[in-house]
Amino acid sequence: MKKLAIALTTTIAIQATTIAQIDRSIQPKPGAPTSINIKDSEVFTLENGITVIVSENHKIPKVSVQLILGASSIPEGKKTGVSSITGELLMSGTTNRTKDQLDREIDYIGAQLTTSSEHIGLDCLKKHLNKGLDLMTDVLYRPSFTEAEFDRIKKRKESDILSAKTEPNSMAANASARANFPNNHPFGEIETDETIKNITLDDVKMLHQAIFTPKGSYLVFVGDITKEEAMKIANEQFKSWKGGEKIERNNGDGYFSDARRVLFVNKPNAVQSTINVTFPMKIKLGDKNQLALSVLNNIIGGGSFGTRLFQNLREKHAYTYGCYSKAKITQEGSYFVASGSFRNEVTDSAITEILNELTNITNEYVTDEELANVKASMAGNFARSLEKPATLAEFAFRTIRYNLPNNYYKDYLKSLNAITKVELLLIAKQYLKVENCNIVVVGNESILDKIKKFDADGVIEKLDALGQTITERKAANITQNQLFENYLQKITSTSSIKDANKKLKKLTTLSQIVELTTPQIPVSILFTSIKKTPFSEFETFEIQGKIQGKSIFNGATGYEESYGQEKKILTTSQIEDKLKIGGIIPEINLLNNSSSMTLLGIESINGKDCFVVKYKSNESENYFYYDTQTYLKIKATKIEAEGEQSITYSDYKEVKGILFPQIISFSIGGLNLEGKLKSIEVNSKIEDSKFN
Amino acid sequence: MKHSLIAIASVVTLHPVWSQKTTTPSKIEKKSIEKTATSSKINFVEYDLPNGLHVILHEDRSVPIVAVSIAYHVGSKNEKSNRTGFAHFFEHLLFEGSKNIGRGEYAKIVEKNGGTLNANTSQDRTYYYEILPSNQLELGLWMESERLLHARVDKTGIETQRQVVKEEKRQSNDNQPYGSFLATMCKKVFQNHPYSWIPIGDMEHLDAAQEEDYVNFYKDFYVPSNAVLSIAGDLSIESTKKLINNYFSSIPKGQAINLYRDFVNYSTADFKSKYGQEKSIFDTANFLQSKNPKAIELIKKFESTPILFNRTAIVPTPLKGQTIDTVYDNIQLPGVFVGYRFPEQNNKDFAAVQIMNSILSDGNSSRMNKSLVEKKQQAVASFSFGFPLEEPGLGIVASIGANGIDSKTILQSMDEEIERIQNELVSKEELEKVINQYENTFIETTSTVAGVAENLADNYMYRKNTNLINKQLEAYLSVTAEDVQRVAKKYFTKDARVILVYLPKQAN
Repeated sequence: MKKLAIALTTTIAIQATTIAQIDRSIQPKPGAPTSINIKDSEVFTLENGITVIVSENHKIPKVSVQLILGASSIPEGKKTGVSSITGELLMSGTTNRTKDQLDREIDYIGAQLTTSSEHIGLDCLKKHLNKGLDLMTDVLYRPSFTEAEFDRIKKRKESDILSAKTEPNSMAANASARANFPNNHPFGEIETDETIKNITLDDVKMLHQAIFTPKGSYLVFVGDITKEEAMKIANEQFKSWKGGEKIERNNGDGYFSDARRVLFVNKPNAVQSTINVTFPMKIKLGDKNQLALSVLNNIIGGGSFGTRLFQNLREKHAYTYGCYSKAKITQEGSYFVASGSFRNEVTDSAITEILNELTNITNEYVTDEELANVKASMAGNFARSLEKPATLAEFAFRTIRYNLPNNYYKDYLKSLNAITKVELLLIAKQYLKVENCNIVVVGNESILDKIKKFDADGVIEKLDALGQTITERKAANITQNQLFENYLQKITSTSSIKDANKKLKKLTTLSQIVELTTPQIPVSILFTSIKKTPFSEFETFEIQGKIQGKSIFNGATGYEESYGQEKKILTTSQIEDKLKIGGIIPEINLLNNSSSMTLLGIESINGKDCFVVKYKSNESENYFYYDTQTYLKIKATKIEAEGEQSITYSDYKEVKGILFPQIISFSIGGLNLEGKLKSIEVNSKIEDSKFN
Repeated sequence: MKHSLIAIASVVTLHPVWSQKTTTPSKIEKKSIEKTATSSKINFVEYDLPNGLHVILHEDRSVPIVAVSIAYHVGSKNEKSNRTGFAHFFEHLLFEGSKNIGRGEYAKIVEKNGGTLNANTSQDRTYYYEILPSNQLELGLWMESERLLHARVDKTGIETQRQVVKEEKRQSNDNQPYGSFLATMCKKVFQNHPYSWIPIGDMEHLDAAQEEDYVNFYKDFYVPSNAVLSIAGDLSIESTKKLINNYFSSIPKGQAINLYRDFVNYSTADFKSKYGQEKSIFDTANFLQSKNPKAIELIKKFESTPILFNRTAIVPTPLKGQTIDTVYDNIQLPGVFVGYRFPEQNNKDFAAVQIMNSILSDGNSSRMNKSLVEKKQQAVASFSFGFPLEEPGLGIVASIGANGIDSKTILQSMDEEIERIQNELVSKEELEKVINQYENTFIETTSTVAGVAENLADNYMYRKNTNLINKQLEAYLSVTAEDVQRVAKKYFTKDARVILVYLPKQAN
């Protein structure tokens, strides 16, 4: 009927009198299939290690030139923000041009020149390309890194940090990053006033020198440019660039929680809860499961209207303006997140529905219709993406950088089509750890009670806007010295500090061996600690007879050594720390040094009220926790530039009149090592040579 | 920072992914003469259907995709002051389905056929589009013609979308730092004018509205003579015209479209009581070709009753003096927003005003960035922009202050930059720079078929000159330093402005 109508309606001229009659109740069928043509980009390499990619597209007279560095992300710890400052400072002037000149010249040609610690990119009209390249290479080769600009950027960052504290999406992103990638993973590092203050211009210069190297970098030309032109530019302007080896580093896969956590960020007066349900995933770009995982994500909530999350949370329940999911896969860490903003009253219902959708998809096959729809939708996205000139270049770039099969993109539609619901269910079970997810809620405190039930142990972790853990403390009802005295009396079973000291004076050496186990490592680790008064100490970690780490201090000098790495001599301030908080029973010492300690108050550790004492030095922040009932020490935490380490103590037993813990567990990075005391000796004879 | 603020400032969309633009008009003249514009760059064909729908076609075979769009010349300024938010609400409602498209199916059909879609609403118009594989062009035409002819405007859809729109407002305005500034500003800058409210509207109005209010809005504004169908991409002009004829020429003209809609939606009795005729006199399958003489007569009568749009500009109460208000918000950094009355986008002064805005805040070398952000370090972001609107509209000069800087100091520095332009001519280099920046931007906007389709539609709807797509720079090239100085004095005036100072609310 419809075809006939088309045949009859040949010209517009007759339309006024004969209006074609079509059957509107029938959805039109597609025309003949279109074909997608994926043109290969040109790829060549320069002697200095740059891979050049050229993708011609002459539709509009624009050219983009991107220099992409090959270095891995590096943890920044106490100096978090150094890479972002480095990226920004590159645009702050060169030895040829002040920042004002540079800005003026870029704007004058209507170009965009952008920099980060990962790239320098130019985007301009073809007619301005030479000028643009002149500016780009000036920034690449001759950044001036002036003190004044460095100070200006640091100062502005203080304001940036403040403003990020009120924006709900960035608050949620910070908390999610900290939950998924804690312990020194670069993804979980958030700039704070303190980390910004710690950064020096030298840090910036050093980082710049380390990461800006041609080795392993990519130079990508896109747009109104030929291979010959690109080659000429590459040879004349980039070939003589020199630099060191590229930094390669494995930052790990993130932190896989063994139970469901709720993390809450208070946003006073919030009218909505911004929710992220998130967890890390062990997958890298180029993995054989990558495409199937992205199909799965598109069924769950990947950005379109037809997804389960959007249909459920918005169209069915009208809880939200939009609910989406993302499976972010990168070389350096991957994660899944389902997110949205929901009015306060439906916060718990929204979480329930999101969890339901995630659970369902790990239990049941997706429907054939859903799978067919998503495949069609993804095929369409793929076709539409080709409209952007940069797409083909990106295909070439990704193929090389992430070692994708050569025909990955040419076969994309075929591979997509081959994905089955059986495969998707396996993928869902493998990657979607719904039971162990992090539920991040940024919102009004009034909703706290509603979300407690989602947490495995019912204790909500509270974070600030920058993702830092907030510790809630009550005021202590005793003084710091009273606390240490009570502790010392408790472990010596005495009733006055005089008696306690008398007993402790007799303590000269302590040797302990602790066996540490974790499900993450199949064999056990032995921790040996030998101490002698006043400050000597000897510690080793060994696995199957092999020493993995060692630290030695004789009261004046010492070193640390990790397997396969150079010995590190203790710095003056590390030594100072040992003299302040070291010793067999550090509290004897703490009592004497009480002016450098602060009793912060009482906080709850695993449901137990504890006094918290803080000691801060140039090297580290240390927290000691004492049970308010028994005064026994139950935990010590040390935070250094390299990360955080906690030791928990329990099951105290008496040895030669003094109480010592039988369970000594370590938490280092993402690793939890449960430790049982295997042997303990008090006052055995130990030569001083042990500590040299 | 700048981007997120502008996003709050300008638009409401169906799906929080895109951002938008805006507007200008007069009366839609009906021409059935076909014009073929042959310009330097973007070629297109345009013509009117007898029912008044304006059609624009652009052929670009480089990638096998096609953008199908319809712009309806209705925005929040067409709303009644006690029924605000309707235009945007419709943008949501018209995804609910139609007589022939099931509820909730609209977006799904597009997506499962490899397409994507969205919509947005400004003060002046509502814009819908799909980007589809080019072999699905007919699907796009069918869907847009369904939206125009018989969308589902019913209770179920209204209830769902009411909640969704409330969430949109919470997410985009209420829960965002400074998120209330535009609504507050518009209320103060405009009195007795529909620009005094923003497209998202007042949620109480949406609650108070009855189903009938919504149906009437649809009947008043969603008609072919109020719409521009703009299609760009991998298509053949001739066969596309035929398809358009099939799907859109069959849409009744004048008030006959509403006669038809009542025929579809009314009960037999209701129809009879409204029109004095039985529904049965019409041919259900082919309404316009009904054979019954009474039916023919009724259709003719309604076809010849045009649907009138009141395009008379409303003159708002003049803005006098300087108003300063303080808003305590959940923020950490102070914000200073200064609102001025700007000329309408088709005013001869508008190009000069835009150039002034660009000199003040486009790019790192712009004056406000150099002065407030970099040299004095009083602000983290500082900008000046105008809403391109059909009627005299709004300009905003604003800064988000740096930590610890007093809002008065910030205001003073912003004023100094404006005064500099009022007192000294801007340099030739700055004018050239702005032209070069615009050239780059304009070329970029025509790099996608979706961008071309929207640009063509806007130029026709607001300027009645579709071919302006090929002359986007012209209006700016003739602007002189004296022009910039003149508009700086005329519009950026302390005698008529509203200052909103945002300060951190004290926590509890």
